[in-house]
Amino acid sequence: MTHETPKTDGTPRWVKVFVIAALVLVGLVVILLVTGTGNHGPGRHTSGGGGHPALLKYGLQ
Amino acid sequence: MTPRLRQLALTAHVTSSVGWLGAVASSLVLAVAGITSQDPQTVRAVYLTMELIGWYVLIPFSLASFLTGLVQSLGTTWGLFQHYWVLAKLLINLFAAVVLLLYMQTLGFLASVAAETTPSGDLRGLRDPSPVLHGGAALLLLLVATALAVYKPRGITRYGRRKQHERRTVLAP
Repeated sequence: MTHETPKTDGTPRWVKVFVIAALVLVGLVVILLVTGTGNHGPGRHTSGGGGHPALLKYGLQ
Repeated sequence: MTPRLRQLALTAHVTSSVGWLGAVASSLVLAVAGITSQDPQTVRAVYLTMELIGWYVLIPFSLASFLTGLVQSLGTTWGLFQHYWVLAKLLINLFAAVVLLLYMQTLGFLASVAAETTPSGDLRGLRDPSPVLHGGAALLLLLVATALAVYKPRGITRYGRRKQHERRTVLAP
């Protein structure tokens, strides 16, 4: 029976999965913000192009 | 840190982090009620309550979780940049806290619309799915952070390996 020493060098697989998931998430958020899909995000009250129904209702845009 | 101080810091970190998770779950339930309830009074109450929870529960807990996390990592042998799981938790905490702070603008706006809407008024301006989206994403992120804290998956950063090497050199010259 051989005793396996835990590998300490290199980036673990879970970190690579985590980074890929984070990049996908950030990419998705950027796409949603750029295209305006989903009508959300912090920029919608500061930019002029949001067109939120409540803002339009109160004549704020 | 002394063992007693370390336990106190850990208690503060767990309390604030789990409290944040619970408050996010409650906010998510309210957000779902905000877009599904047919009762105008309930919908108005949802957005007014969510703003209060945001300022007085979510933000204090998120900042407390961040600060106590810094104390925990810097005051123990884990360090802040030496283990991938600590680094991942730091990034999740920072990202979620910043998005929350930015999102308070939207919650404040929705609360002001709710305050101005008459009890029998038009609710279209309040049928906003974004609190559900943000609440769901925050819940997912905080669950990942909790799992990382419990499982502590293996993996040392390049900086951590260098620090380990330095410690070994000091101990065995």
